[in-house]
Amino acid sequence: MEDIGWIERIDLFRWPLLAALLAALVAPAVGAFLYVRRTSFHGIVLPQFAAAGVVFSYAILGWWIETIGLGGLTLEEALHDPHAASTFGLAWGAAFTVAGLAALVWSGRRGGPEAARAAAAFAVASALVLVFGRLSPIGRGQVDQLLQGESLGVGVHDVEVLAGALGLAAACLAWFGRDLVLTSFDRETAVVLGKNATALEGLFHGIVALVVSAGTLILGPILVFGLLVVPALAARPWARSMHTFVGLSVAFGVASAFAGEAASLEWDLPLGPAIVVASALFLAPARFARNRS
Amino acid sequence: MSVLVRLEQAAFGYNGRPVVAGVDLEVRAGDFLGIVGPNGGGKTTLFRGLLGLLPPLAGRVERSATRIGYVPQRESLDPIFPLRVEDVVRMGAYGQLSGLRRLGRAQRAAALDAIARVGLADKARAGFASLSGGERQRALLARALLSRPNLLLLDEPTSGVDRGAQRRILDLLHEIHVHDGLAVLLVSHQIGLLREAAREVLWVADGRVVRGSAAEYLAPERLDRLYAASGTEDED
Repeated sequence: MEDIGWIERIDLFRWPLLAALLAALVAPAVGAFLYVRRTSFHGIVLPQFAAAGVVFSYAILGWWIETIGLGGLTLEEALHDPHAASTFGLAWGAAFTVAGLAALVWSGRRGGPEAARAAAAFAVASALVLVFGRLSPIGRGQVDQLLQGESLGVGVHDVEVLAGALGLAAACLAWFGRDLVLTSFDRETAVVLGKNATALEGLFHGIVALVVSAGTLILGPILVFGLLVVPALAARPWARSMHTFVGLSVAFGVASAFAGEAASLEWDLPLGPAIVVASALFLAPARFARNRS
Repeated sequence: MSVLVRLEQAAFGYNGRPVVAGVDLEVRAGDFLGIVGPNGGGKTTLFRGLLGLLPPLAGRVERSATRIGYVPQRESLDPIFPLRVEDVVRMGAYGQLSGLRRLGRAQRAAALDAIARVGLADKARAGFASLSGGERQRALLARALLSRPNLLLLDEPTSGVDRGAQRRILDLLHEIHVHDGLAVLLVSHQIGLLREAAREVLWVADGRVVRGSAAEYLAPERLDRLYAASGTEDED
């Protein structure tokens, strides 16, 4: 990295840098909602489920192509076709995320300590990643990159997929954000006022699943759960309204992305972990903030 | 007086099992009703049925041109939300909004009027979670008023607040009832306060609902007999 200048480095890694920036714009806003719903642990557990789904997709890719087929591609072609492999991985990542989310919501309704359920789910999801990774005869390099948060191999197709998924999630949050705040804060009043609380909660879970599965597939679980959890935690003590809470979470996320990207390019660090470490710097001043509400 | 809610042989409950059944009841404009009864007798179930949060398991529920203002128990609202008093009160107008439409100038002004009416004008921009219990209850009342209701349902509005705050909430309810002509229906365990405020009560015990005058049902000797018959104690 020392032989080339900053402009060349940014140009060389423009797609991963752009992808991380997109994630930093949307994931912290979703994280702010997870925080006030006291479900931040979803931000830790679900990316791990998504990662298990992506690794699982590599484990079954050969069998799938032989028995069901993937657009007429051979295994070799599928592994080198950016569209085929990532779309297949996205589908399985989303399926595992939705399954993990459904399990968390269902077990939550049956009561019991949330921290214990989250810890158990995280342990299971992490074990699944390792088991599927061992069972996967192919894609070892992609899986290792994914788990280590090394996303410098992200290409234009990945950015297109991520922009589509995150754009849809951001549009839903903008359109339904007010009703989501009402439903999360006071579900019964929302129903009395004529809101379909069940549909709104389903929509929110869908937004979480979309952001987590697309983000994990392209940027890895570490960056996604870092951006879902840390900026919201840092922003809450400074916020007096939901608008400022969401706005500050996004601002901290974007600032972390810039700082982490700079550190990654300067010292050749893995991009995802560098951004998460940068975001943790915002936690320190939060300790001195008066709780404003 | 027009009928706002009519129940005919209605049953409400959970998982297909009725908790209250055979309820015949009319709530009319001008009513001020208290819901009382022993714990586990079905007060909350009836209240949720009247609110529309529980569908009837049997019978009929009619609501004609009824706009319900709901005041929940303030303990059910999580202080983790960064919300100012005006944010919470404005939620009362969300039923009239969808998508990206924002609150209009008139709705924002109506929210401030409602906040002033409950005596919180100087706290409109304060954090909701930073208010005292009585102030939070009044903010929730302002939110209910913003939805322009003709029937106000309140769940334990005076529990856990000091005597002064209880008095203030009841005076406010009385003023709203008389001045705006709103029907008021409230669940409370505080028999002494209900005796002062409500004209009639719905006595809910053992899955049955009986309507009677507050003076008659809330007389101490009668209450002692009713609670003894249901095997529980009077909580006031």
